[in-house]
Amino acid sequence: MNINLTDKHIALRRAVKSFCDREIRPIAADIDKEARFPWEVVEKMGRLGYFGIQTPRELGGAGMDALSYAIIIEEISSASGSIGLCVTVHNSVAVFPLLAFGSPEQRDKWVPPLARGEKIGAFCLTEPNAGSDAGGIDATAIPRDGGYTVNANKVFVTNGGVADICLIFARTDPAAGRKGISVVVAERGTPGFVVGDLEDLCGMRANPVSSIRLYDCQVPAGNILGKPGMGLKIGLAALDTGRMGIAAQAVGIAQAALDEAVQYAKQRRQFGVPIEKHQAIQMMIADMATRVDAARLMVYRAAALRDSGRSFSTESAMAKLFASETATAVTDLAVQIHGGYGYSKAYPVERYYRDARVTRIYEGTSEVHRMVIAKGVLG
Amino acid sequence: MKDLHIIVCLKSVVLEAPRGRIVRTAENSVMNPFDRPAVEIALALRNEVGGTVTAVSMGPPVAGNALLEATAMGADRAVLLTDAAMAGADTLATAAVLNAAISQLPPFDLLVFGTRTADSDTGQVGPQTAVSLGVPMITQVSHMEPAGTGCRLERQCDGFTETYECAFPAAVSVNPDAVVPREIGLGDLETAFGDKAYDVWGLEQIGLSPEATGESGSPTRVLTISPVKTRKACEFIEGDDAQKRDELINHLSNAGLIG
Ligand SMILES: Cc1cc2nc3c(=O)[nH]c(=O)nc-3n(C[C@H](O)[C@H](O)[C@H](O)COP(=O)(O)OP(=O)(O)OC[C@H]3O[C@@H](n4cnc5c(N)ncnc54)[C@H](O)[C@@H]3O)c2cc1C
Repeated sequence: MNINLTDKHIALRRAVKSFCDREIRPIAADIDKEARFPWEVVEKMGRLGYFGIQTPRELGGAGMDALSYAIIIEEISSASGSIGLCVTVHNSVAVFPLLAFGSPEQRDKWVPPLARGEKIGAFCLTEPNAGSDAGGIDATAIPRDGGYTVNANKVFVTNGGVADICLIFARTDPAAGRKGISVVVAERGTPGFVVGDLEDLCGMRANPVSSIRLYDCQVPAGNILGKPGMGLKIGLAALDTGRMGIAAQAVGIAQAALDEAVQYAKQRRQFGVPIEKHQAIQMMIADMATRVDAARLMVYRAAALRDSGRSFSTESAMAKLFASETATAVTDLAVQIHGGYGYSKAYPVERYYRDARVTRIYEGTSEVHRMVIAKGVLG
Repeated sequence: MKDLHIIVCLKSVVLEAPRGRIVRTAENSVMNPFDRPAVEIALALRNEVGGTVTAVSMGPPVAGNALLEATAMGADRAVLLTDAAMAGADTLATAAVLNAAISQLPPFDLLVFGTRTADSDTGQVGPQTAVSLGVPMITQVSHMEPAGTGCRLERQCDGFTETYECAFPAAVSVNPDAVVPREIGLGDLETAFGDKAYDVWGLEQIGLSPEATGESGSPTRVLTISPVKTRKACEFIEGDDAQKRDELINHLSNAGLIG
């Protein structure tokens, strides 16, 4: 497997970093503290193409490859995990399924405004009684009057508070079990579409994660994505790309924590020397750097596989598992290297530590990932 | 006003301390940060008046990436001037190459430079090129707007703002704080780096002899480069309070810190 960073990827990383340094880094701590979604920055990102990264040009996107996508998510997440989350979920589990499974009419209708960032997308699978067990959802979309009547209680919806176009997983044929699950596109503003309270989260606080409830919400038949019954297939395909995004996000957060730890270790003096001179600190830094590097390579490999049109499901799952566990370990060590100051909001590492934690939970927990990977290995 | 042809000259620089020989790679080479505002001001003027912006750079092949960035920002055309015989050019030999290349392009109305470069910091290439082309130049421009058949410009100097009106063709160098360079859109970057559309000209294309540029065309030589050792020395002023006061005032005004 050949992971080639081309001149374009190098220039891309620089351009994204420049944007983050100017627009995101300066507000990252504040939007976390205030749990505020930074519309002013998100609008700029929309105009620059961040909401249609892999969307074809003719549909209003930037038409980039998966490796570019990984680099972009990594860089944004190193500045703000919350904004990285907004961008990765929008691109990979809202826009991508519309592109991959939507009819030409569906694509033309929903994708361009999403790709230009004029509308925000969300992916609504999780319910109070169905998390890891996606097949256990209760939401229904029952055929009626030539359309569907949707009833759903979706929780933990990333971008929920601001989303315009939601992919809702619901049973169109309750008797058919897992084969009766479909994806219904529900637009904010449709009667019966209700945005619930925002979650008061541990990390990723600038993302308006909320519940979305649909009460007898009537949608046209044309709002079923793909065909009725394709829900879980669409969900799995979306999560393959989604996981790559979460893995890239984890790498970005881990890198930010490592950079911060290195800088602090050079400047903090104890026992007459900068703490970087203590071997215990050096061992931590070595482990952190090695793990971040390995995680990044795994993410880039999954992306490169995808770009070459090959199966990347297992590699993306492995990358997500390893990168998310790396991010929690590395941010933990970054706090440790900062001592008491690491536990204070005066330094950014406590934010990285909180933000990193959820990467082991969403888009499939580490446990679920191990199950999937083991199944692949053991057959 | 008729459509303008604006030429921006920019450099790809290495952002590393010169320690031994540096191998230029896409990773360590960036568009000179002081040239970004120059590109921006050129694009803004073009957008206001109409016309085209041509970005020109002399450098090794990797400098093509800086031109692609300028293209992604909005430049209409880019030309890379690269030739083994251009290596080692000092500012005068660089100006000779730029002059020869600019003479091959359609006539220009405005020639735009950054004020200086992050890696050598002479600020000479712009003025030398302007002089060799025989066009008036206004340096350190902090504001520019179209006026009459030319433009009105402002530059800050010694605490004063000077305002000029200048007919085209003319040359300017742009104060780094004059404008905030635009962020690059992802789609524009994808197109620029996908098409890789820039002309590559060697000495032959610009009709310059090898003796006129590169090391052989350079009247100056850099003999050595070594880091400056800065020493902070603490001075104590002796005497009674009045003496100390006078001595301090004396010191500060001699150092030009108070007037
Ligand atoms: C900030 C945030 C954003 C989110 N965004 C979205 C979103 O946009 N869209 C969306 O649909 N969901 C979203 N989620 C939900 C997330 O995907 C779920 O929380 C996750 O899938 C786990 O489900 P659960 O919380 O119900 O945990 P559970 O499934 O109840 O799991 C609890 C524990 O049991 C373990 N477990 C469960 N089953 C097994 C098993 N078979 N074997 C071994 N261990 C098992 C789990 O690994 C976990 O440790 C988000 C969550 C958060 C916190």
